[in-house]
Amino acid sequence: LVLVLSPLPRLRGLLQHCWGRLERSLLPGFSGSQSPPWGPALAVQAPAFLPEPGSDLRESNEAPSLFDSILWMAAPKKRRTIEVNRCRRRHPSKLIKVKRNIDVCPECGNLKLKHVLCGYCYAKVKAETRLIRIEIGKKEGGPFNAPTVETVVLYDGEKPSQKDEGKRIIERARKRPSWFVQN
Amino acid sequence: MRLSVAVAISHGRVYRKLGLGPRSRLDLLRNLVTALVRHERIEAPWARADEMQGYAERLIEYAKLGDTNEYAMRMANFWLTEKDLIHKLFKVLAPRFQPHPGSYTRLLQIPNRDGLDRAKMAVIELKGNPLPPLICRHRDTEKTLLNQLLKGYREDLQQATAP
Repeated sequence: LVLVLSPLPRLRGLLQHCWGRLERSLLPGFSGSQSPPWGPALAVQAPAFLPEPGSDLRESNEAPSLFDSILWMAAPKKRRTIEVNRCRRRHPSKLIKVKRNIDVCPECGNLKLKHVLCGYCYAKVKAETRLIRIEIGKKEGGPFNAPTVETVVLYDGEKPSQKDEGKRIIERARKRPSWFVQN
Repeated sequence: MRLSVAVAISHGRVYRKLGLGPRSRLDLLRNLVTALVRHERIEAPWARADEMQGYAERLIEYAKLGDTNEYAMRMANFWLTEKDLIHKLFKVLAPRFQPHPGSYTRLLQIPNRDGLDRAKMAVIELKGNPLPPLICRHRDTEKTLLNQLLKGYREDLQQATAP
């Protein structure tokens, strides 16, 4: 038996343990340094170097270990030159695209995308809607009191017209904004 | 020979996947439809608002069939989780949209959400709502009557000056 020193001492101990178990299972009478109970049954001419059973065990044990699998992992062969790096980093698909759909909002003068509402104008409308909804909440009182009639919003000094018959009136205590046209 | 992965192909699929599954998607859309009928203008991620627009318009079409229609009432009962909105739907929204043949909602994109996700947001509203109008400027196309008349006038002037 030729014992090859494996680089990991823990693995060597494991191998020795495995081999001891194998010996004991194969030759139950040969634990320790006793002579085997039986002599050789047959003498056969065999090659001088026998493939060691220990080496097969070792290979099957070592294949999942990290030391060998490192040799099969992908790694760069050469340093990437700065020219190659520049080509990759500056390729048009990697650069941030220039937006050409920015316009000026005609109402407030802020910038906006062409297909999107102006942020400032929308914030204005949202603030006013919030105040109107607070008034609606006060009028309704509690939750789940949705009215069964239409609603109309009136500002300071406005009277309901004859089109607003039978509608629920929401009063807002301020002057009518210029962009909220009364129908 | 198959050149593409079967998993990633979705040719012709019209319904988006939202939420945690098909049941969750329906619940999400139902909540959005209820909110729209209650508040008449809501802000939501664009994909959800787009999905919801179809369902909301079909619900209004069912409501137009009338209060007494059994199927319309069952639809309204499923889609509106807050039951006082069923009254609003049949008594307020159905008469409001009776003269219109279709397209009862308006979907407009707003600037991306301010949070970390910068999601594409949209505002969806029922037409004819009492709230202040969204300032949405309509572009003058060449096909309007006034522009066509002006174009004809310009051409006439050119023909008059040319010969």
